[in-house]
Amino acid sequence: MKKVTVPEQGLGEKVIRHATAIGVAMKESVYPLTATVFYPRERKKMPDNFRGYLMFDPDKCISCWECAFVCPANAIQMKVAPNKRYYPTVDYGKCIFCHFCVDSCSGGALKTTKIHDVAYKDMDEMLTLTEEMLEEPEIIREDKKSVEYVIDEHDLHLKRVREVDTLFVAVTPPVEIPMVSQCIDRASCIGCRVCEEVCESGAISSSTEQRGILRMKIDTDKCTGCGLCVKECSMRILRLVKK
Amino acid sequence: MEEGDKDRNIRILRSGVFTPLRRWGTKWSLWPCHFVTSCCGVELAHAFACGFDGERLGTLNMGISRQANFIIVEGTITRKMARALRIVWEQMPDPKFVNVIGACGQRGGIFWNSYNLTRPSEIVPVDFFIPGCPITPEGLLRGVRAVQEKIEGRDRTTIKFKTAELPSEGGKGKESRVPTTAKIFAPTPLIKVDVPKEVDWDFGEDLVKSLKAQLGGLYKSITITDKNRIAIKTTPENLVKVVRELSGTTGIDHVKNVNVIDVPHERKFIVEYMVSSYSEELMPVIITVFTEIGREAEPVFPSLTALWESVDYSEREMHDFFGIRFEGNEGMNGKFLLAPETQTPLRKDFKLEEERYVLEDGVPFAPKIELPSDLKMPVSEELLEEAEKSDDFVVLVGPHHTGSGHLRWIMRLKGDLIVDIIPDPGYVHRSMEKLAENRLYIQNIPLFERANISDPFNMNLGYVRAIEKALGIEVPERAKYIRTIMAELSRIGAFFYDSGILSLFTGHSTGFMYVWAIREMILEAVVRMTGSRCTPSFIIPGGIRRDISDDVLNMTSNFTSAINKRLRKFEDIFIYNPVFIARTKGVGVLTREEAIRYGIVGPFLRASGVDYDIRKVEPYEAYDKLDWEVTTGDAGDSLGRYMGRYEEIKQSLRILKQAVDAVKRMPRGAVISEEVLGEYREASKDIKGHLFHAYGNLVLPKGEWTSVTEAGRGTLLYSIISDGESNVPYRVRIVTPCWMNLRGIIEASKGERVADFWAVYGSFGYFPPEADR
Amino acid sequence: MIDINTVITGLGIAGNQVSIPIIQQMLDLLPEIPMIKLIISFILWKPFFAALICPGFTTLGILLLFFPWIERKLCGRIQWRVGPHEIVWWLGGIIQLLADSLRFLFQEVIVHKDAHRPYFLQFPFLTFIPALLPLMFIPAGNIVAIETPYAIQIILAVVCLFPLFILGLGWASNSRFAFIGTVREAFMYFAYEVPFIIAVLAMIVLYGTSDPVGIATKQTIWGIILNPIAALTFFIAAAMATSRMPFEIPEAEQELAAGPHVEYSGIAFGLIYVLCYEKAYVLAGLMTMLFLGGGSGPAIAGLGDLSGVIWFLLKVVIVLTTLFVLRAIYPRYRLDQGLSIGWSAMLSLSLIALALSIVLVLGGVI
Repeated sequence: MKKVTVPEQGLGEKVIRHATAIGVAMKESVYPLTATVFYPRERKKMPDNFRGYLMFDPDKCISCWECAFVCPANAIQMKVAPNKRYYPTVDYGKCIFCHFCVDSCSGGALKTTKIHDVAYKDMDEMLTLTEEMLEEPEIIREDKKSVEYVIDEHDLHLKRVREVDTLFVAVTPPVEIPMVSQCIDRASCIGCRVCEEVCESGAISSSTEQRGILRMKIDTDKCTGCGLCVKECSMRILRLVKK
Repeated sequence: MEEGDKDRNIRILRSGVFTPLRRWGTKWSLWPCHFVTSCCGVELAHAFACGFDGERLGTLNMGISRQANFIIVEGTITRKMARALRIVWEQMPDPKFVNVIGACGQRGGIFWNSYNLTRPSEIVPVDFFIPGCPITPEGLLRGVRAVQEKIEGRDRTTIKFKTAELPSEGGKGKESRVPTTAKIFAPTPLIKVDVPKEVDWDFGEDLVKSLKAQLGGLYKSITITDKNRIAIKTTPENLVKVVRELSGTTGIDHVKNVNVIDVPHERKFIVEYMVSSYSEELMPVIITVFTEIGREAEPVFPSLTALWESVDYSEREMHDFFGIRFEGNEGMNGKFLLAPETQTPLRKDFKLEEERYVLEDGVPFAPKIELPSDLKMPVSEELLEEAEKSDDFVVLVGPHHTGSGHLRWIMRLKGDLIVDIIPDPGYVHRSMEKLAENRLYIQNIPLFERANISDPFNMNLGYVRAIEKALGIEVPERAKYIRTIMAELSRIGAFFYDSGILSLFTGHSTGFMYVWAIREMILEAVVRMTGSRCTPSFIIPGGIRRDISDDVLNMTSNFTSAINKRLRKFEDIFIYNPVFIARTKGVGVLTREEAIRYGIVGPFLRASGVDYDIRKVEPYEAYDKLDWEVTTGDAGDSLGRYMGRYEEIKQSLRILKQAVDAVKRMPRGAVISEEVLGEYREASKDIKGHLFHAYGNLVLPKGEWTSVTEAGRGTLLYSIISDGESNVPYRVRIVTPCWMNLRGIIEASKGERVADFWAVYGSFGYFPPEADR
Repeated sequence: MIDINTVITGLGIAGNQVSIPIIQQMLDLLPEIPMIKLIISFILWKPFFAALICPGFTTLGILLLFFPWIERKLCGRIQWRVGPHEIVWWLGGIIQLLADSLRFLFQEVIVHKDAHRPYFLQFPFLTFIPALLPLMFIPAGNIVAIETPYAIQIILAVVCLFPLFILGLGWASNSRFAFIGTVREAFMYFAYEVPFIIAVLAMIVLYGTSDPVGIATKQTIWGIILNPIAALTFFIAAAMATSRMPFEIPEAEQELAAGPHVEYSGIAFGLIYVLCYEKAYVLAGLMTMLFLGGGSGPAIAGLGDLSGVIWFLLKVVIVLTTLFVLRAIYPRYRLDQGLSIGWSAMLSLSLIALALSIVLVLGGVI
């Protein structure tokens, strides 16, 4: 335990302290430790893992809905594409840039950019549809230089480089953990076909066997392991297992 | 709104004589009336401090509405605040502009279905919306530039998306069924707060024995629910007696939490008081005294204010939330946190809007919010009359005032002396506790972080620790140290935030700028670690989202020494400035007894001489493995509180340095507990791609799980009540340090001079969003 | 045909001209055009020059336009940032104040319904009387508008009137914060007035005259060196009188939302905003006159009387900068602390200064 005492200042101490304060001001007015980024004309470099606007790659998307499920702000809602699959849309009027969606996207279809300085004149424009997330958007940029913060052992320095920082980064794909859906209790299946209907990749098919009983079949090659059928199965007889 | 036309200002600028001069003058002289309503205010401060210096663009921050011509709405406008926004806008001279920054003020962001939110765009005409939560300073300045361009005649959105072709093949040929919600709610859950747990805790067993002997027939049951946690069940009649007994002989001296749980299907409320003690051996023990009462429209319950003044505001809050009338509490005749029209929102039959997962045409993106019909929220007539009679001068400070923060202080003055201050909080009440009951456990991580974005890691850590406690997960060693680093960075950041505010409150803008430069360094470290400046959401149950690189570790290590150069200048110009010392010394003194009685927590309690720091009392993460000291003081005045925290920050830097060195020595490995990941244990180095798989269906065991964390401003308590079946919490109670300290501010300022109020207020580091939640 | 020279001599402005050798030849070429000669003679007539150009309106106007910029830039620099910059970035945003004043000029002026309307609108203009009047008596070098041996007393009297007008502003606003602000202003007035007058008195005793030009000639050694205690007291009192930082008690933005002028908007606020600078200018002029030797300094070749003007302005700007940079160094005192500083520390300092002056005079130093 450490006892803290408050400073006592006698008259002499006071005079010294007044002089020190004035001295600091005088020194700073001559050699200031300015730490200002002249923003519209120069831009601060953000790290590659910066959480900014999202971009989307439909080829990698398995339409697992997890981005929509995990979004704490309900900013991601799914929309049907021409190929009848559901792809995410982002409403930046709600998005909180937590990137839980990016961290939930097992295919790596969602990726981050370093765009974060945008002004909308209308709230309706803030909804970004899937087709707008495919290509790199253009923002108004007035910057000619980029600034990087360098913190060495002594102080913070601003390193200015006369180059325009790129806002789009290459991202590493997530670790692949191949999973497939498996029925653990076929006898309990009630044949409601919800799993078939909900499956976006068409991995689950049904066939009527003898005596009119539906038989569900899971194609393990097609299955993306998204887990939607597991979640929807009313009898809780589906489970994700390692491939 | 007849004046709600967005282009009205432009028309004003274009009419009359000298239009080019008028436009030019207005363009370069947009003085924002900073409407610091919520967390985005922190980033606004960064935009106007030395890191980005918004004054370059001619935008000089001005707190006074009559002289400003630009409102920057920083985030949440609650029902109570709506009125202030409208009035401030009306007070401003034409032409005036409004920018809304942050998602809360647009479609609600993470609070989109909150019961206490309104939309600024429905209250005043808005020129530009800047997305983000919070926005970055660059975003804010981009908004300023956009307004400047609008004045010049280019009214445009600053981003242009290119529309690309979506694939027309690759699907299964037909639309799939829309899946149901990911949330599982048990229809009639069994709610128990005293689920017994087998723990190895001898002291607890002895304590229970002695409690049983002492309380005699006053209790129904005494259960050990976890290590250091005891639950005593009693009847409503006996509750006060039990508590009196506890405080008399056992030495229990303060209340940590007042909580009510609504169980509609059993037609009951569970009312609980979490009590604890600052005497050496009982420090880590939290005793929950609870009872059940009938679920009526306005049930009556005895108040404990006579015993502990610290429960006062929490009881009023529960009165707002559940409609329980605490007999004996003076504040039961109206609303405290909420706007008058909101009725008992935390009862389970008060439903919030459900999430939609499919984008449908014609369906609004966010629920329609009814604006409060009456935008007036005056002071009670009785108060004014009484003040008139006793010849007091009543001043309303806030909610929109340069030195009020976002709450209203009703001050009664006699000359230059403060007779009484009545707080009117709730201007940033965003209903976190209600929202948490409707979200997955994992979705609540960003939610609770928004309680205080100047101290985000600690907010995050507290909640995650409660979950980990419930699940009994052991966090990997590396993650523990990294979490310690983050928590300490956050603590340092919070202290410098408060230093900046205190120096502004005492009129010293240079002090503010100096610490903001230091904060800029901290945020740089945070952004490189997590990818976000203020809201990292990085700590997840079982560890952290991903490992951090060696570069960042080196940078953090450098930070511990690089800070000194600037800190010394700050010391010279501000801390040891004789004027500052004169302003804070001997002001707002709270003795040890008073501090405990009013329920003050954290460094402010330590400044009054109580040696209580949760990092030592109930060590978590890596704190017990590092060498550091708790700081206490005896002065108990504003200066003592400030210097105590300053010393604590020096200790934090010590912890930081040791923790970084330890992490650097450690081999890289898992940073998330494999136990919690289960099948997805390959993701233990980086959760990317598997967050929802691993955490979407997290269900906590039945019972109440309480974690206490030493946040930047004091004891942060999370109490999660789980029914053991749902993957959403049944109830989450969060008691933030600022909420507990509110009482202290009031009591410390009474009898002081008017200007002292700001010295006291600033020294307590009060952060209204954290208090109001 | 009237001879123009006769007119000039007849008006009595011939002998009292500002002499600027460097442009004298140019002036000598002009007399062929009669009206120009008359106008120039008028402008260069010392009293007129003083009132209109320096230290009067023109200088004041230019100073008001650029001084807040200097202040903001300097404070910005001390605070590790840059201050106004982007407006013309290659000049460091030097015309920032022009934009601000144009904005204020064209903005709506709101008179809220609780205000005392006539007074609310009159006071910002009336306040200019005590702010501008002292300029007539302050010499820039040897140029002064009204020459009188009692100039200093008159300046003091008018400067001490100033708070009354601020009280008027606050009272007319009829707002609670403005009310507290005016009360504080009144208290602070009591705090600084007596030491302020005694400090000036000490200097009058020292110089044995209160004629500004006479004082300037007497200062072979600057007053600040002769009687530094009086200079210190005067400076602190000036900081109090202009509500500068450690004593920015009546305005206190974080406490009272700018006190007396919380309700003013548009050009009315613009006027009040510059008032504070005007007052500071007057006090800086007085300080230059009393302690820094007025317009004395090495004569700049070819400028004649203007040399004194330039030295005077230079000193004024230095005093003003020092006064305004306090904002970046100090927090704000509390009202009671301000009062106690006024009545104890400063009063005793001023009395010591007076005693010192008497000792110096008796000792025959001056």
